[in-house]
Amino acid sequence: MVVSEVFFVFLVVDGALAGAIYALVALAFVVVYKASRMINFAVGEWTMVGSRVAASASHAFGLGLGGALGLGCVGMVALALVFNRVVLRPLISRSLLSLIMVTIGVGIFMRGAATVVFAGIPARIASPFPLDPLVVGGLPVSVDKIVAAAIAGACIAALSWFFHGSRTGLALRAVASDQQAALAVGIDLHRHFAITWALVGVLSVLAGTLWSFASGGGFGIELLGLKVFPIVILGGLDSLPGTIIGAFFVGILESLAAGYIDPLVGGGFSHVASYVALIAVLFVRPYGLFGRPDVERV
Amino acid sequence: MEPSSAEALLAVHDLHVSYGRIRAVQGVSLTVPDAAVVALIGANGAGKSTLLRAISGIVRPRQGAIRFRGENLVGLPVHQIARRRVIHVPEGRGMLTRMTVLENLRLGSFARSGRADTALELDRVFALFPVLDRRRGQLAGSLSGGEQQMLAIGRAMMARPRLLMLDEPSLGLAPLLVREIFRIIPRLTAEGTAVLLVEQNARMALQCAAHAYVLQTGRVVLSGRAADLLAAPEVQRAYLGAG
Repeated sequence: MVVSEVFFVFLVVDGALAGAIYALVALAFVVVYKASRMINFAVGEWTMVGSRVAASASHAFGLGLGGALGLGCVGMVALALVFNRVVLRPLISRSLLSLIMVTIGVGIFMRGAATVVFAGIPARIASPFPLDPLVVGGLPVSVDKIVAAAIAGACIAALSWFFHGSRTGLALRAVASDQQAALAVGIDLHRHFAITWALVGVLSVLAGTLWSFASGGGFGIELLGLKVFPIVILGGLDSLPGTIIGAFFVGILESLAAGYIDPLVGGGFSHVASYVALIAVLFVRPYGLFGRPDVERV
Repeated sequence: MEPSSAEALLAVHDLHVSYGRIRAVQGVSLTVPDAAVVALIGANGAGKSTLLRAISGIVRPRQGAIRFRGENLVGLPVHQIARRRVIHVPEGRGMLTRMTVLENLRLGSFARSGRADTALELDRVFALFPVLDRRRGQLAGSLSGGEQQMLAIGRAMMARPRLLMLDEPSLGLAPLLVREIFRIIPRLTAEGTAVLLVEQNARMALQCAAHAYVLQTGRVVLSGRAADLLAAPEVQRAYLGAG
């Protein structure tokens, strides 16, 4: 292969690996949106707190990666359930706007609280994987990233099965599709909102921890939240497969922009590339690449 | 010939429902016996649909009691009422249009407690409505009006309802399909389901019901055996288009 081709493939692979983690964050956003039409502006902060809780569990109890993730999930699920019960449930009949404002407030609160609560505790779990990059077909790929992407991929598969193969998943999709109709068949909305937030807790821990491996502390995890918007809007907001494809698309796009355009313009374009693509797509398909305009017989 | 409330599955007593200042239902009492068909007829805006919405918990009555197997349903959330297998098939059918026929049917079984085996119920529904079997993978929103009505009734059957409330099942359907839908109702009662039927098509409703109530501006103005109402001159004049 010519050097330029190798470089291209390297960028695509690197972007896809990041995309797998983006997908987890984006799914945490989409499950909430689907269940309650609520836009969670704090999804980045949830991910940040998730990674900090897992890191704290690891350092406090000397746990390995698996144990830290497990304990982190328990903690974050508890936090998410309390948030749902104490903050969201009293607001449930209010306007959607107040729910959305609450997420912004909660995001700011989480950032502030995290600096106090986690003061002096290492922010990351030391990566248990070898530092030397793996060379695949002449391309150097860091082991951290491969493992992170593999775990993310397994989570995505598990989540897809959960939504399409399980009884609870069927109920969650019914709630997402039409709350009144879901109630009418005997589905308890509050119970399923709680399940949704528990999922957010688990996804926050996984995505946050994996990102702390893969990014090498490149940028603050809470900024991951900003990546989510182009992903979910490209994906069509309510389509799980669309979200996953959107995440890979944005990951690869950023990587290509970082490799080819950033050197020309002096850096930074990779961070806005996905928004440029977003605007272009919205001109052509206002409901996103994978969203469906409602088809219905009346 | 009122069915006595002692043997009633459902007993509505002095029910009042208002939307803001509009009093949609004003002091309605009615009973539905076990495994019987009871028809509610009356003009548009008489309060028939509101009554069903109150029984299924979608609107909260201002006053009155709704006793189902002796328990007052007033104030229970919608999903709790559905879990008592009081199943409401609303006008417009309440389908999950972006989910498949099979998924809609599966959701119907959520009203039953525990992880009931849905295979048996599915077979029953497909035997009754073979068209649903052929369309099981299709989105509910893409079905024709008649097929959607069959799906709505099929989904209700998945719950093995004790009380099935049908709101205008014939609305917008071709006569042949209307007969198809009405053909199902006696089969349901044979399996022990009571049916509370709201219909514009008063003749078909009265032919299929044992008892009937005539509603006018939120009040019961006539009630009795369906056969007697069918013969009553005032019903014939007002609702059956005779003389």
